[in-house]
Amino acid sequence: MIANIPSAVLLGVDGRPVRVEVHVANGLPTFTVVGLPDAAVRESRDRVRAALASSGLPWPRRRITVNLAPSGMRKGGAGLDLPIAVGVLVASGVLDPGAVAGHAFVGELGLDGSLRGVPGVLVLADTLHGLRLVVAEANGVEASLAGGTCLTAPTLADVVARCSGRRPWPAAPEARPAADPPSVGTERAGDLADVRGHRVGRRALEVAATGGHHLLMVGPPGAGKTLLANRLPGILPDLDPDTSRTATRIHSAAGSAGATTTLLRRPPFRAPHHGLSAVAMVGGGSAGLRPGEIGLAHGGTLFLDELGEFPTAVLDALRQPLEDGVVRVSRSQGSSVCPARFLLVAAMNPCPCGEGGVPGACRCSPAARARYARRLSGPLLDRFDITLRIDRPDTMELVGHDAGESTAVVAARVAAARVRSRGRGVRTNAELDARSLDRFAPLDARASALVERHLRSGGLSARGLLRVRRLARTVADLDGAGDTIGAPHVAEALYLRGSRALLLGEEIR
Amino acid sequence: MSTADDVACASALVQLQGMTPVRLARLLDGFRPGMAWRAVAAGAHPADRRHRFTAEARGVDPSEVARRYVAAGIDVLLPDRPGYPAALVGDPGAPAVLCASGDPSVLEARPAVAVVGTRSATRYGVRVASDLGRGLAEAGVVVVSGLALGIDAAAHAGALAAGPDAAPPVAVVGTGLDVVYPEQHRLLWERVVSVGAVLSEAALGTPPHPRVFPARNRIIAALSDVVVVVECHGRGGSLHTVEAAARRSIPVCAVPGAVHSPASRGTNGLLVDGCTPVRDVDDVLTALSLARGGPPVRSRDGAGVPTEGHGPEDALGRVERAMWDAVEDTPTPVETVLLRTNLSLAALTEAGLRLTSLGLLVGGAGWWTRA
Repeated sequence: MIANIPSAVLLGVDGRPVRVEVHVANGLPTFTVVGLPDAAVRESRDRVRAALASSGLPWPRRRITVNLAPSGMRKGGAGLDLPIAVGVLVASGVLDPGAVAGHAFVGELGLDGSLRGVPGVLVLADTLHGLRLVVAEANGVEASLAGGTCLTAPTLADVVARCSGRRPWPAAPEARPAADPPSVGTERAGDLADVRGHRVGRRALEVAATGGHHLLMVGPPGAGKTLLANRLPGILPDLDPDTSRTATRIHSAAGSAGATTTLLRRPPFRAPHHGLSAVAMVGGGSAGLRPGEIGLAHGGTLFLDELGEFPTAVLDALRQPLEDGVVRVSRSQGSSVCPARFLLVAAMNPCPCGEGGVPGACRCSPAARARYARRLSGPLLDRFDITLRIDRPDTMELVGHDAGESTAVVAARVAAARVRSRGRGVRTNAELDARSLDRFAPLDARASALVERHLRSGGLSARGLLRVRRLARTVADLDGAGDTIGAPHVAEALYLRGSRALLLGEEIR
Repeated sequence: MSTADDVACASALVQLQGMTPVRLARLLDGFRPGMAWRAVAAGAHPADRRHRFTAEARGVDPSEVARRYVAAGIDVLLPDRPGYPAALVGDPGAPAVLCASGDPSVLEARPAVAVVGTRSATRYGVRVASDLGRGLAEAGVVVVSGLALGIDAAAHAGALAAGPDAAPPVAVVGTGLDVVYPEQHRLLWERVVSVGAVLSEAALGTPPHPRVFPARNRIIAALSDVVVVVECHGRGGSLHTVEAAARRSIPVCAVPGAVHSPASRGTNGLLVDGCTPVRDVDDVLTALSLARGGPPVRSRDGAGVPTEGHGPEDALGRVERAMWDAVEDTPTPVETVLLRTNLSLAALTEAGLRLTSLGLLVGGAGWWTRA
């Protein structure tokens, strides 16, 4: 007999439908799986056999052939255990084909016949839309987020019993209400009010969060760069429904914990260590093109601490996604497009000794400084709209000054300013092009004069001017200014844009 | 033997692989260069018992080497020949052979002052070094320094800016005279050669190496009547110069700096140790005992310290005034200026741009300082 069971596998952040065809025929007892299975799928033969035996289900002592169609595509992951087991049961006559019609199955089997969750069920459920999807109980909530019909069972025996109608399916699991977000960012990182001093740093965070401007902080060790960066997610507004769904799909596909109970509402915050590989950064790998850190940061923040220590290849891999908002990963088994629109925040020391930047403080030789600066490619540095010097706060100067605003106050201002950006047809001001800038960010007379002076003196290029105007638009939005950009806004934008040469402690002329 | 032969043999000795100032001094101790060369080539020199140089010397024609020096426009000076700086004669660490580009005779009949300091200098240090260089040159004093980045370059540039009647500067470098280091000082190097002299005890083609600079510093000290350290860190090359000067009983002066400035840690330490403080060129001239009789060459209040109440900063608006008051003479972090003025970053940066364009402030990455 032949059985044909629908299922799906992950490729990157996309699901690919797979038909599991099982053929049971007379002949010497064998069990073969064809259709480009990877190691995990080939091992599923042993899991399926043991699970059936443990569940008290008969194993056909005949010739069993499993084909995974389309057979030209590589398939990975343990999620095909359940459909293979169900297929064997149907093909050997234990289950009535009519009982499983209109169902799709995804799940991993334990040797004792229990059903285990697999990563990416949200994505797979989307792929199998229109079918009644049977998954492990651990995956129930996540699968139901996709909106289709979702059935759960704790063991293989329960699946058989419920499919054949001997027992009823339990009520569909409820997704936890989205009004109760886990608020990953704010809880872990603490409040902005805890940051003493750092007025410039706080302002830069606010501007970056509002306008989606990539931020590079340069300063000596212990100045507070990481402290500030960790507080950035707290002031970012909630994800819009579209981004929320995309981000949840990516996290689901990557199998990260926490994404499975509810749609992501708070922007993710990813801070990979600098030892990571280029594949871990952009995504890939042999098992189904797992999304990388930049995919997981979609809609949120990618924080690279100690930027100078990252391998050059890893950093340069960021350039294309930063430009396009998506990352395309191609491997022999297929290619995948993963959304990767994130706010890049980086921190680094100005030179090997860490004290450079302020003249006279650095003990590095000019050659060592130049070598350190060369670790970052110009095009990458060019992506940072804000480059900023962060110094250790001077405690003496702080005496008598009150604590700064709290995360809640700043977040409210950011949200209000973002509403203005949306009125211009973009998510953030960083997406404004030259023509929209002419329309939405005209300069007043004094601001024009200031810009002209900088253009003439060579301190500003045409491309730099665009960035400064975007930044100035964000600054003006935060200050509640009107449609016209004034000289103070341009001055602040020029300051925030900074100078790479000065930041990296190059010779002062 | 002729002088020309001695010069040729001396230059050939300098060019030998593995030659150091100390080995050269031993080879030429009690030997005329011509004799020393032939003894080395014969393997009979008592200071070269292991025949380190013999094989190479046999394959070298001294006159060929001499022609290379002539072609490069470099004079080879020997202690007992005219042209060798008188200040070095009798010095315990005098170079046995000294190469010179330009005219080393500018050192004759003129007092010399070394103006040295750190390569990573502050604006303040660069300005003081430049002022001292210019003032000393105008007073007829040869400014001796090392053509390094920072203070050295500022001192040379200041001396060159003093005009045609002033004393020309002299540089002592650690590399070969055909190796301009640092490369960005090529123009400055050429200008020093054109009016004064660049000296080196290193062979042609000697690359910059950390080892050569302390040795160069002893020549700077030995050539000078007074050593002025403008800015230096707690340790570093400038302190080698100070040590070399102290060993020769040459007075050392230091320019005071802010006690918070890391670039003044060394100089302030020298002052604590009893070195003469120097505020301007008059202080140096006094130390040189040149301010003999009559008024000083230049009056002290002309030296450029902005005097209260008479600067262009009087005409400033309220915001600019507040900012000017909050910024110090040393780099002041933007953070500190914000706290002191309580202005918004936008207002502050705008005022900063205006003050910078007026030439009152200098801005860097995250700091401002008064110009």
